[in-house]
Amino acid sequence: MDYNTLTIKELHDLYVKGEVKPLEVVEQAIAKAKKDTSNALEATMYEAAIEMAKKLGKEPVEVDNLLWGIPYFIKDNFSTKGVETTASSNILKGYVPLYDAEVITRLNRSKAIPIGKTTLDELAMGGSGMSGHLGRTFNPYDPSHRHMIGGSSAGSASVVASGIVPFALGSDTGDSVRKPASYAGLVGLKPTWGRISRHGLFPFTPSFDAVGYFTRSVYDSAVLLSVLAGHDEKDFTSSTKEVEHYHDYIPSVKGVKIALIKGISDTIANSSLRTSYEKSIEELKKRGAIVEYVEIKQELLNALFSTYFVISCSESTSNNANLDGIKFGARKNGSTYTDVIKNTRTAGFSALIKRRFILGSYSLKQENQELLFRRAQKARRLIVDAINQVLVDYDFIYLPAAPDVAPLFDKKSDNLNIAHLVEDNHLVIANLAGLPSLTIPACLDKGLPIGVNLTGRPFSEKSLFAVAHVIEEINGLRNITVGGL
Amino acid sequence: MIKVDKDKLKELANDLLFDMADQEYETLLKEFDELVAQMALLEKIDQVDEVEPLIYPFAVTNSTLREDEPTTPLTKEQVLLNAPDSYAGQIKLPKVVN
Repeated sequence: MDYNTLTIKELHDLYVKGEVKPLEVVEQAIAKAKKDTSNALEATMYEAAIEMAKKLGKEPVEVDNLLWGIPYFIKDNFSTKGVETTASSNILKGYVPLYDAEVITRLNRSKAIPIGKTTLDELAMGGSGMSGHLGRTFNPYDPSHRHMIGGSSAGSASVVASGIVPFALGSDTGDSVRKPASYAGLVGLKPTWGRISRHGLFPFTPSFDAVGYFTRSVYDSAVLLSVLAGHDEKDFTSSTKEVEHYHDYIPSVKGVKIALIKGISDTIANSSLRTSYEKSIEELKKRGAIVEYVEIKQELLNALFSTYFVISCSESTSNNANLDGIKFGARKNGSTYTDVIKNTRTAGFSALIKRRFILGSYSLKQENQELLFRRAQKARRLIVDAINQVLVDYDFIYLPAAPDVAPLFDKKSDNLNIAHLVEDNHLVIANLAGLPSLTIPACLDKGLPIGVNLTGRPFSEKSLFAVAHVIEEINGLRNITVGGL
Repeated sequence: MIKVDKDKLKELANDLLFDMADQEYETLLKEFDELVAQMALLEKIDQVDEVEPLIYPFAVTNSTLREDEPTTPLTKEQVLLNAPDSYAGQIKLPKVVN
């Protein structure tokens, strides 16, 4: 049996029944990872994983701990003690964190088994899965390697879609979990801002950043949140709000009010997605949901990307100023202290990252700040106010996660381009407003997956899972993997 | 209004302590044109300059004071593990004063 194509819950049930031991599952995951051709891995932790699996095999199975013995991968922008962590950037080559990110500590406590680290767009600043220092990460649904998997959490999406592991950690600043989830047939969660501690996650845009992850079922997504959510004094933005037993949700949409934003849902370019989306809406209504179209001013929708772009470039410029090769990282020599930093940063960052930093720095200059950075923050307030107003009258917003299947590498670049404003960028709404947001597989078109997305009020994750579970049931694409369809 | 040329971009890169290949400055100049177009979209928003900037999604009311208990910080040796060059327990750099 291919254990890693099971969901977390299914694998746990086999452990409880004594039908398999962690060692067999981990060895299988490692064997699959070694054969994988998606260029999804930055670093491996195979020896430690085997050791841990052997140790767990000698202990009784923890019946109430669903993550016991479950193998997983980690996006390479999470600090992992003793394991090189580069965020797919040459400037961090050789950097070995001295501590684990809080989410890793929590997963260790739950005895989940990390197998390795995955590729991302450099420093998580991109959405194509092609800007990391190891080059393109491929979409395993496309053996010709022409379609991208998206990013920035490219490698994590790839290993879960390939059935190498049942889940993987990612991070989501604009749509870096939810968009690749759409392109890879996965469930991808960005929780409420502050729901999961970000201690040990390399900061990109702290006012947007969230720890997220990929699973292949909504239930598994809820299982993970029950473990990862909670206050952490090491992250002062982490919420003290009570953590729920998220996986105790009861799937139902009866009486639930769902909004569809017309200016976004109208942008669906793929006919299979349109059919699937409309069918799911009808089915949700049949099951007792109240589903209605709402309007958001087009001028606000048109401004989503600009607002996100200016704020994210500005915050990231400042947050990455510590990457100088002095205390850590791939230092380049120079005759003065400043030359050392300059040579290190010149060699260590890709051209794309440098251009983003310059745009960000320009936006923050005193003479430009009001016109650029502050204006973007003002636009953010108006956008967030409009979305929150929708969520006064409705419990959830239900939209396509992407307008089409994964784009071809040749057709997409990370260069700044005003085209495809709304359809490709509307998932940033959840980052601007700090809302929980979940992508769920909707359909496949010529073998390539596309997802839909459900967004709720802050800290409404439990009911988000309850409704998403129903959509998952309607769409009939629970736990899909490449080759497992 | 946004107005930049290659020299201005070089100055910005220098402030950020890196340099780029010449062709990248050309690409960036084109991206500034895009930025102008992007910012025009923000200008079109009704009352955009009448509201306060939103800095974080929502207020987080946490106690920022942890218990005053001693913890074990990283040792000097640990900190230096990632330093590219060190000597006598300190990070080594080129001379600042000749």
